[in-house]
Amino acid sequence: MQVTTEKLRRFLAAHGNSQTFLEQEVKGLLRELGIAVPSGVFIPAGEPVPSPHSLLFPLVAKAALPGVASKNDIGGVRLGIRDAAELSVAVAELEKIPVAAGVLVEEMARPGVEVIVGGAVDPQFGPIVMFGLGGLFVELFRDVAFAMAPLDRRAARRLVEATKGAVVLRGYRGKPPVDMESLLSVVVAVSELIGSGFIEEIDLNPVELYPDGALVVDAKMKRRSQESW
Amino acid sequence: MNSLDCLFKPRSIALIGASADEKRLGGVVSRNLRAFRGKFYPVNPNYTEIDEVPVYASIRDLPETVDLSVILRPAPEVPELLAAHAGKARCAIIVSAGFAETGCESLQQEVVRLGRELGIRLLGPNCLGVFAPYQRLDTLFLPRERLKRPKKGNVAVVSQSGALLLCLLETLAVSGRGVSLGVNYGNAADIDGADIYDYLAEDLETGVVISYLESMADGRRFVAAAEKLAQRKPLLILKAGKGESGQRAAYSHTGRLAGKYEVFSSIMRQSGIREVRDLDELLDAGHALARQRPSRGNRICIVTNAGGLGVLAADECARHGIEITPLPEAIRQRLHNCFPPFYSVANPIDLTGQVKDDEYLATLNEIQDEYDGFLVIAHTGVVGLTLRLAELLTVFRAASGKPLVAYLAPGGITDQLAKRLEKGEIPVYPSPERAVRGLSSLMNYGQGPCK
Repeated sequence: MQVTTEKLRRFLAAHGNSQTFLEQEVKGLLRELGIAVPSGVFIPAGEPVPSPHSLLFPLVAKAALPGVASKNDIGGVRLGIRDAAELSVAVAELEKIPVAAGVLVEEMARPGVEVIVGGAVDPQFGPIVMFGLGGLFVELFRDVAFAMAPLDRRAARRLVEATKGAVVLRGYRGKPPVDMESLLSVVVAVSELIGSGFIEEIDLNPVELYPDGALVVDAKMKRRSQESW
Repeated sequence: MNSLDCLFKPRSIALIGASADEKRLGGVVSRNLRAFRGKFYPVNPNYTEIDEVPVYASIRDLPETVDLSVILRPAPEVPELLAAHAGKARCAIIVSAGFAETGCESLQQEVVRLGRELGIRLLGPNCLGVFAPYQRLDTLFLPRERLKRPKKGNVAVVSQSGALLLCLLETLAVSGRGVSLGVNYGNAADIDGADIYDYLAEDLETGVVISYLESMADGRRFVAAAEKLAQRKPLLILKAGKGESGQRAAYSHTGRLAGKYEVFSSIMRQSGIREVRDLDELLDAGHALARQRPSRGNRICIVTNAGGLGVLAADECARHGIEITPLPEAIRQRLHNCFPPFYSVANPIDLTGQVKDDEYLATLNEIQDEYDGFLVIAHTGVVGLTLRLAELLTVFRAASGKPLVAYLAPGGITDQLAKRLEKGEIPVYPSPERAVRGLSSLMNYGQGPCK
């Protein structure tokens, strides 16, 4: 908890007064906390596409948008980029989005079991953590569980297992079970970030779970304006 | 935090706003408090005595410091009245309405500030206060002719809403069940649900707590108190306001999904605190837990003499995740050998309309080691069943130590039989489904959170 808070403090200090952060900034913080994120490069608006780069195709290119805008809603995402030529086209198109601060290019994540790990500040319980399986489970069935932050690994496991969808994580229809320990590390890290009192909301969505690890594919975070708690 | 003994087990009480007129609330409470075991001091500047009990003009005039003062005067008068309590009362129930619940936040804040300043703990405002039959303490402003009081028992009823407290007390009273305490804490300006849970965790007369809740100021303190209480005795919470969901505009998914109720419920579940869905379940589960000790297992057997009623019960078991495992073959064979061939020796076991009292007992004796709990269903219209059944079941239940509840279909001897079963600590329910729900509160208890 202390280590996380310390790293978060430094991160916030480095980002001045901004309320929200760009995706690669949040991912940088996560990486510092030992959470896996895809390999990627950020290309600031107006700069040329660096080439050659060390990333492995296929790639994904995402417009980096400040504030609360959703990349998907404005066509800010290009998936399945196969070569350098396609990449140049994608980056050029995304840079035309007026508010884009640049383009984040990342390796495509392999498909795994998608989950959401989030944090928010609840009016009754203060900082809380949410866990749910991604996609339909969240959208349609609202199969999510909440707990008070911060959590130790045991409480994190209890949170994960409180969802009905948790059976999928244990291996379902011949599929191997996911790496529970990596998932718990993500849940604990999110719980410590929201539990610090400096963050209003954090959303890791989706997180891909594999038999041998967990990868945070998309990440959002918002600073708390009033540092209570 | 000090114990709330001055509130729940006071030795002396003052009533601010006592009255001789039983058509007034002050008159009703005056009358109710005359039965109180300790010292009672009515206070009202307009009287010198009520029914030969001397009345004081102000709380300042009392010859001693009372444990509890009950304030039953209009809200605007409360601050001045409370100020007069300096050194004269340890805690106070503010019955008066017209504070934060009607938007008068500042008046409430003033009262809270005064309470802190004077070192007086406050219950309310906007509450009915306390019904504590062991002390004969009754601050409810409803006459006994209008609202039956339950006898002494081991169930504590904790309600944020006054109407719900009354409703629960009346229901318990009518069905002959007893309470250790009834309390309505209203606006919870000072003493809140968590304080009361803390107190009840230590209270020797309380074996089970049933609680109605609308909101809480500090969720973390509430969970800590509820968790501690639930570790010592069964706690059942009915939360109102489930519809409120997280539709607010939020930056993240989490914020959008985090409805007040979803968050509450999820946290309760993980903390091992039992939430019930509705008023029936609160009463039914409370009824079972007040009488019997929960079992660790989850397998039950249904013994009936009416097929259809057994099937309805089995359906309800399925909905609650209670296992109705089949009888082991050896037991099946043995039962089969001693019963007529048309008895159905499955689970449910159907002893048919030809059943006799002793056959229920014979069956239960055979299966008692195989199951964690039993549901006995009896259609009492058949000639083979008599009031003796109650005695047989009571003795069996006491010897086995396992949960056993009953449903009796309506009939000539049903009421009498039900009374005897209840006396033998076997809860009887008004439908097979509710019997299952009562039984389910006794099953699987030791498994802790996440189930």
